[in-house]
Amino acid sequence: MRPSGRRAVGTDNVPMSYVVYTSPYVPAEWIAGHGLHPLRVMPSGASHAEALWNRQGVCPYVRAFLSEVKTCQEVAGVVITTVCDQMRRAFDVVARVSTLPGFLMNVPSTWQSLAARRLYLEELNRLGGFMVTLGGTPPSGPHLAEVMRGFDDARASLRGLQGQVPARAWAEAVEGFGRTGRVPAVERECGWWDEAHPTARPTASKVPLALVGGPLRREDLTIFDRVEECGGYVALDATETGQRGLCRAFDRRRLGEEPLLELADAYFDGIQDVSRRPNHGFYDDLIRNLKDRDVRAIILHRYLWCDLWHAEVERLKERTGLPVLDLDADGDQTADNGRRRTRIGAFLEMLR
Amino acid sequence: MTDPPRQLTLGQWDLRYRQLEQAGMTQPSYGGPLSRHLAEGDLRLARLRYDDSPAALRLWNFLLTEEDRLHEARSHGKKIVGTMKDLGTIPVMADAIDNVVAFYPDGAWWSPCVMENSTGLLEIADSMGIDESFCPVRAMIGAFVTGHHFPIPDLLTCSVGATCDDFSAIAQRLEDLGHPILWWEVPHRRHPDQGEASIQLPGGCLAPKTQVDLVRSELLRVKGAIEDLAGEPLDEPRLRSGIAKANRIRSCLAELRDLAYTARPCPMPALEMLIAEMLAIHFCSDREECLGVLEALLAEVKARVRAGVGLLDADAARVFWVNPVADLRVMNLLEACGARVCGTEYLFTHALDLISEDRAPMDALAATALADPMVGSADDRAMRIEREIRRFGAEAVVVSRIPGASHCVWEGWVIQDVLGDRCPVPVLEIEVPSVADAVTPELRTRLEAIVETVHQRRTR
Repeated sequence: MRPSGRRAVGTDNVPMSYVVYTSPYVPAEWIAGHGLHPLRVMPSGASHAEALWNRQGVCPYVRAFLSEVKTCQEVAGVVITTVCDQMRRAFDVVARVSTLPGFLMNVPSTWQSLAARRLYLEELNRLGGFMVTLGGTPPSGPHLAEVMRGFDDARASLRGLQGQVPARAWAEAVEGFGRTGRVPAVERECGWWDEAHPTARPTASKVPLALVGGPLRREDLTIFDRVEECGGYVALDATETGQRGLCRAFDRRRLGEEPLLELADAYFDGIQDVSRRPNHGFYDDLIRNLKDRDVRAIILHRYLWCDLWHAEVERLKERTGLPVLDLDADGDQTADNGRRRTRIGAFLEMLR
Repeated sequence: MTDPPRQLTLGQWDLRYRQLEQAGMTQPSYGGPLSRHLAEGDLRLARLRYDDSPAALRLWNFLLTEEDRLHEARSHGKKIVGTMKDLGTIPVMADAIDNVVAFYPDGAWWSPCVMENSTGLLEIADSMGIDESFCPVRAMIGAFVTGHHFPIPDLLTCSVGATCDDFSAIAQRLEDLGHPILWWEVPHRRHPDQGEASIQLPGGCLAPKTQVDLVRSELLRVKGAIEDLAGEPLDEPRLRSGIAKANRIRSCLAELRDLAYTARPCPMPALEMLIAEMLAIHFCSDREECLGVLEALLAEVKARVRAGVGLLDADAARVFWVNPVADLRVMNLLEACGARVCGTEYLFTHALDLISEDRAPMDALAATALADPMVGSADDRAMRIEREIRRFGAEAVVVSRIPGASHCVWEGWVIQDVLGDRCPVPVLEIEVPSVADAVTPELRTRLEAIVETVHQRRTR
């Protein structure tokens, strides 16, 4: 799974070691601080030929991720988190079918106790130990702070792009940031909005929507196109691979004093997920963002067999009071595309 | 015991009940003919085959009257704790206080089976968006909504973290319906790193001391909530006493399992053994009587073993069963196909293993909670299964998938892969819905095939 585009090299011109992950609770700064290259992948579900991946009940996203991990090259290790049970159990499979060193990171479901917070911090320390086994070096405090500032600046820049470029372009920029740690500057200079996506500019006649859900696969990015073709636009990308998966901005003063603690808090408190128990923090954040963006309706994108998001469909309707389109993906891309076009079109017709 | 044991239909049990009654059989307060439960809506009972002993009758009556016991406990002013997902730890704590009784709301997952989908529980779950893609434990949400199955608990606890997503999501929905939940964290159990302080858990796994400490701190939160509810301290003497009583039940079960899964001929059918094992989770809401029920069953099994009598063919294929079945009737089906159960892993082995009485009580309970097979890797489960296969002399493994359960996606494959050359027995993976009538022909064919395979392997 060598990342596309520029290949990262270290200071001595030796290729850096990529560490693959997908969960937003894995801090890229912590990997980079150890001198390794964080590679947050957006897998593609197009190539899952192995029968093992197609067992009944496998979430299409997990299947896509496993497929990506199985075929990856030039990667030093993989980090999987316990945020969802399917992914936690997929680690058992990775450990058996892949020679890649793997690390399963406990991310607590609860958040209200000191013990949960301590567990997350301890897991970051263990992750650091894993990085060392991959050839990384534990960062000094000032070095970690410096790395964190760089990522924080990039995230600020990314957030600044929101609303300035079409939603798909922004989602791709987030994906690029996860892959390279940088915001794709070239596209910003192009004036993407007007030249590449002339139909995407929001106007009063277009319906502002929120796209909510877990992580997207590469092919799921077409949802943004479908929405625009049908007369809407995604005003809020609250998927795990979108805005919801970005940690909060760092407290710069604390960053200089105790960078690891600031890192842990920014990720643990700053990323609200439906897997949290209880998960009202997710709704508090979402409802605030929906109001800020004047969102009129929600598309919930979820995968077949993803219980965490499936169970939220009715709650999302109740808690937000907005129309919700429950857009499920079963992994059959051709069928999914056809159904998506029809269902998004019908949803937007209803809203206009 | 004069006649050899046999399995009876519900109708046959009624006849036998009258004979036993005339012969002077004594019954506990909840006793009576089994068919009365059928009249109360437990329709599946008419399709099951039962062991014919008075001990088995007592077992079934004890199981099927739990809701009555809970309502009675409430009417006597006892506080009720619903302990979701932990399967065998919080009930040990809660039942250590006299005016508290614990039960397991997740047990509602068998209601669709026992009542043959006549309760409407699944329809209620459907209406809330919790459809058939979820595990049958979704019936629990319907039970809370109707309030007809068990009293709404005074305190609800739920372990989360390394648990299945189905349950976690359903419990979250429950809280949204106005049932506050005390969530407590159980991390994914990992192997200790080199040089890391570790603790041996019941069942043999090692866990890092930091993880045991974390779980203990979470259990202390639960302990505080139980104390607040009861208005009494859950002090160390009480906890020690509660652990000792739980261990008596676990010891009794261990002896029962050893005999039932090794003796030839089979001294107790698989269905009754499944029910007996389940009692360990929360003592079916009456710890003292639970022990009495199991001791009576053990006495019956011992008597049969001494007499050299039992059920099923003497050469029945010896099958190790993994995961509880959503449809109880499938345990009968296995036996009808020429097999017997010789070893089980019903997802709650930590409720069967003895709790350490040498450690501080909260440390011991934390170690028990962390020994939950659901909390660790499928590899850990498979290693334990391998040990138990050897111990019980099982010749094949059946992994029974629970429809929609997130843990079932890979575990069958991992178990098969781990067993591999280490313990080369055939492994069959099946899926059992709550009412399996429609798929019974297919299940029968597949179970018969593994029985044939076992017989062929014996002749090699």
